[in-house]
Amino acid sequence: MRGDLTFGMAGSGGDGIVSAGEALISAAAAEGYHAIMTKSFGSQIRGGESSCRVRVSTQPIGTSNGPLDVAVVLSWDDFLKFGAELQIEGTTVVIYEAKSGVAPDKLPLVGVTPADVARVPIGELSKKAAGSDKAKNTVVLGLIAGWFDVARTTLLKGMQKKLAKKGPEVVAAAERAFAAGLEYALANPLKREMKIAPSKDGPGTKMLTDGNDMCAAAAIFAGCRFYGGYPITPSTEIMQYLTREIWKYGGAVLQAEDEIAGIGAAVGASFAGKKSMTATSGPGMSLKTEIVGLATIAELPLVIVNVQRGGPATGLPTKSEQADLFQACFATHGDSVRPVLAPTSVADTFPITVEAFNIAEQYQTPVVVLSDQEIGQRKETVNPIDTSKFTIVDRLRPTPADLEAYTRFRITESGVSPIAHPGDERGNYLAAGIEHNEQGAPTASGGVHARMNDKRFKKLEPLKKRLDLFEVLGDPSASVLLLGWGSTAGACREALDWAQKDGLSVKLVIPKLLFPIAEEVYRDLFRGVAAGLVVESSHQGQLYRLLRMYIDLPTGVRSLCRSGANPFAPREIERKLRSAVIGLQRGHGESLQSQE
Amino acid sequence: MGAELPVVFDPKDYKSDLKPIWCPGCGDFGVLQAMYRALASVGRPPHEIAFVSGIGCSSRIPGYTTAYGFNSVHGRALPIAQGIKIANPDLLVLVAGGDGDGFSIGGGHLPHAIRRNLDLTYIVMDNQIYGLTKGQLSPTSPLHLKTVTSPHGAMEAPVNPLLYVLAYGAPFVAQGTPADMAGLAQIIEDAIRYPGFAFVNVQSPCVTFGQDDWQVKQHRAAMKTLESLGHNSTDLLSAMDKARSYGSELYTGILYKNPNPAPTYDAMVRERQQALTTGSPSPARILDGFLQK
Repeated sequence: MRGDLTFGMAGSGGDGIVSAGEALISAAAAEGYHAIMTKSFGSQIRGGESSCRVRVSTQPIGTSNGPLDVAVVLSWDDFLKFGAELQIEGTTVVIYEAKSGVAPDKLPLVGVTPADVARVPIGELSKKAAGSDKAKNTVVLGLIAGWFDVARTTLLKGMQKKLAKKGPEVVAAAERAFAAGLEYALANPLKREMKIAPSKDGPGTKMLTDGNDMCAAAAIFAGCRFYGGYPITPSTEIMQYLTREIWKYGGAVLQAEDEIAGIGAAVGASFAGKKSMTATSGPGMSLKTEIVGLATIAELPLVIVNVQRGGPATGLPTKSEQADLFQACFATHGDSVRPVLAPTSVADTFPITVEAFNIAEQYQTPVVVLSDQEIGQRKETVNPIDTSKFTIVDRLRPTPADLEAYTRFRITESGVSPIAHPGDERGNYLAAGIEHNEQGAPTASGGVHARMNDKRFKKLEPLKKRLDLFEVLGDPSASVLLLGWGSTAGACREALDWAQKDGLSVKLVIPKLLFPIAEEVYRDLFRGVAAGLVVESSHQGQLYRLLRMYIDLPTGVRSLCRSGANPFAPREIERKLRSAVIGLQRGHGESLQSQE
Repeated sequence: MGAELPVVFDPKDYKSDLKPIWCPGCGDFGVLQAMYRALASVGRPPHEIAFVSGIGCSSRIPGYTTAYGFNSVHGRALPIAQGIKIANPDLLVLVAGGDGDGFSIGGGHLPHAIRRNLDLTYIVMDNQIYGLTKGQLSPTSPLHLKTVTSPHGAMEAPVNPLLYVLAYGAPFVAQGTPADMAGLAQIIEDAIRYPGFAFVNVQSPCVTFGQDDWQVKQHRAAMKTLESLGHNSTDLLSAMDKARSYGSELYTGILYKNPNPAPTYDAMVRERQQALTTGSPSPARILDGFLQK
């Protein structure tokens, strides 16, 4: 029995390979497995190649990246276009369409001999069972159910439910196609049995969603009642969820004419007293930047979600990268600082988004949530979240005494001053992008400007002591450190498991607060560290460089980074970590940067 | 017990303590006075008013009123104002700015603000020049105008704000000049009272960088009230016909007023919220939908 299986499937657009993946993960989730699914497409809107990866496990998992256990190939041309995204190794079982005409000993794979190869007449089975080759994906599900025993009955039930609307004939055809695949698998056993063990948690114990929907749900939970935005891949699902749901909670969504108007409306709504949000990806973030600065100087709470994709400019719209960190921290002109938070999984997106709203409200500041395409668009099982454990923070409002002589930008001990909303009697003030004194009157005074800068920076100081925004795993006294953020953290968590199994003692640090840099927290974490890797999907290794800007890192801590669309696998990180340690022992710390 | 007196506002109730930075003789002073009068006539208390602007000389105007003001960034007053109005439709939301702010850097927002038709009043102080940055060509500067950025004469034809907004579908379009303060106050009041997007173009001359032969004095001589011309302000085509002479004639008054106001976006927002909030779950149960059974 296996505890963990990663499936990779590819076909052309019409093959329904992604629907098969969705059926598989839904069934696995319903049975209580831990699972992650990612999809990948060519750049075409319709047709072209499409693929998905589904990892199903009896244990918690952090990524679906890494070599495949099972490769399902409907067309070799399509499959091979995904390159390293669908990696076949010597341990992989390859299932492929017989009609492709490729002989089992002539697979188009260089230097790899898969553990087992099953050449299956998938299209033919579909035609016989359902009258056309449109049920190829259902045949594949039957094969998976037969060979790997993943959620066999739940898969069928899920399919019946999904197709019920299309009528009994369609359901019956799907049932026959599924049975055809299943029977084929049972009649033609694999060389080595690869059935998955039953789930540990049992049926009905898992939520299933993606990071974007989770972010939107968390926003509503945190009290967000206004969203302004513009469609952009890969963040649009946030707006789509909110515009379905937010009205039910008394909120509103404005699909604006452009990115600037989207954030402008959100700032306006915040000024009017509503918790508000905008979401975008890199190009949109570039356009919104001036108004991020406006929210900073006008001290208006605002959450800005950037679901990162590859850049610059249009870059890689459908692929993940972690290269917008510098932008998130520094993009606006002038001296301005804003908190930047990064979730590390779909599950994590809930607390991080709620935290972003709480910080925005508490400190009257824009906050950036730096998600990425992988987290935003991957489907993942999530254990139930107890929402009663969360605190919701609302902005500091003026007391009647404050309103006797209201001073909107009063310089206080904490730097936070009570905010009035239009409609509040005696709270009238001028919010402005121009520098202003405590009353809100425009000024060009250098002295006032310096004091106001002090105020705006000072109020964020407590964030730098938020140890709870760091996750520290493994051996806290280890001299070897691994640091990962965002979607890369999931692979680092599993790399830690591998390291421990291999007898290497490692401390794993996962910062959720990326900016402002919590200097003292980091200094404590780096104390006693002799070697380490900061792992991230960017050409420059942006967090590594950012840390070096603020902290004297131990010389043995290096950057492990490469451009996006090429995510790290746990074993790979562990190997790199070991070689970094060996390198240091032998006195030649090899550079690990930019290993494209 | 005696009967309660109605709350009545004086124009002074809307005047703040800030001293305008405008040059003496600037047309914007007249616009500000007209605003005070119009607001007093409308009679909403200052704390129920949100007054949004962009950047430019004229965009300083919210600070000179006692309303809640938002002096934002260049060209973005309209999106911000829409966010405010959607968030709190009970507020009276005013937007103001110059011709550069509204028709150049923020020009992309105008058609969308109009087609959304929120109940906003947008006042553009159109002086055909960039004053705050000291005299550059603006989107309404006449062709061939010589400025510091067009020393050999402008090569672009000006935009026609009146024709633009009529074509975009604005349900209320008017033009005024500080040369006729009473008329301007009345226009602004009518705009505020109109239930929908109301646009007022004010020919507000720049005394420092504007054309010497196009100041308040010349306005007074040149202006023609649409009323005196027998203009039918419910007729879109005659409004467009009058709008065509922007730049050559100075018509004042209401060019167009749709007699059948369409439902506003903010009213639709409220309706949708009312329709969908009934029987909704508490936010604490928001994750229930993700449970996989």
